[in-house]
Amino acid sequence: MINYFNKKTINIFIIIIFGIQLYIYFVNKKPLTENFSQKTITVENFSSIVLSNSGITKVGSEKLNKIDDDNIYLEGKSYLENKEYKIYGKNISINISKEISNSNEPVEVINKMGILKAQGFKNQDYDGKIFFSGEVEFVINK
Amino acid sequence: MFFFIFVFNANSESYVKAGKSLVWDSENKSYTAHGNVEFKNDKFIAFADKMIANYIEEKNDEVFTIIELFDNVVIKFKEETFKGNYAIYTRDDNIIKLIGNVSIESSTRLLTGNELIADIDNNKRILNSADKESLVEVLLEDNANN
Repeated sequence: MINYFNKKTINIFIIIIFGIQLYIYFVNKKPLTENFSQKTITVENFSSIVLSNSGITKVGSEKLNKIDDDNIYLEGKSYLENKEYKIYGKNISINISKEISNSNEPVEVINKMGILKAQGFKNQDYDGKIFFSGEVEFVINK
Repeated sequence: MFFFIFVFNANSESYVKAGKSLVWDSENKSYTAHGNVEFKNDKFIAFADKMIANYIEEKNDEVFTIIELFDNVVIKFKEETFKGNYAIYTRDDNIIKLIGNVSIESSTRLLTGNELIADIDNNKRILNSADKESLVEVLLEDNANN
């Protein structure tokens, strides 16, 4: 009789322990995945090449912050360079999937026509338009 | 001597200035400037509220071919000042055409009309009045003496 109760108690105990382990496994699994995908990656003195529909663009900065899979933030002195222009600025946000970059900091652009200075920019690379804001001065090559 | 060379070079600088914004459209090959726009090339200096400049690629360089100026247009060319509501300059023939409340002012005269065609290379000005019946052609002294 005593053996019967001991066996039953042990079985119930094992089932409870197994249930707790399953609960811990499933509860721990989910938050770990979320934490990993939200993590911001930071790289200093960064330079790389971005391939898009508009061609190859070289980007670089003092500090790169990866916000998510589509967005990066070039912190400090930064640049964007391709066959048409060189953009030198500060604190530039880039949306890679939408092919848009922008900054509210002073910017200098060198292209085939001359040197342009503005107070900020929004570069819509997908349709070949760059919007320069604030006072703009564009000195044209001779 | 070097000072004078520097001053000469500084004065011959070409530029576009805008008070509000400038859009570079590389697909349509144009620049659009807004707000207190100032444009200078080796021929003249122009002021307006808005400017659209078209360009082409030429020997690995980009050069403006057509300049359009909108609203409160003032163009200073040597001793003359042209004013109007709208102006278009074409590089190929070096002609500036102004339309709407046009005036041409120099040290000795002020003429007004509805349309002004300034032929820079031939030093010739054609001023049309609003009623299109009278036409005034002014030959400047340099050309008149020839």
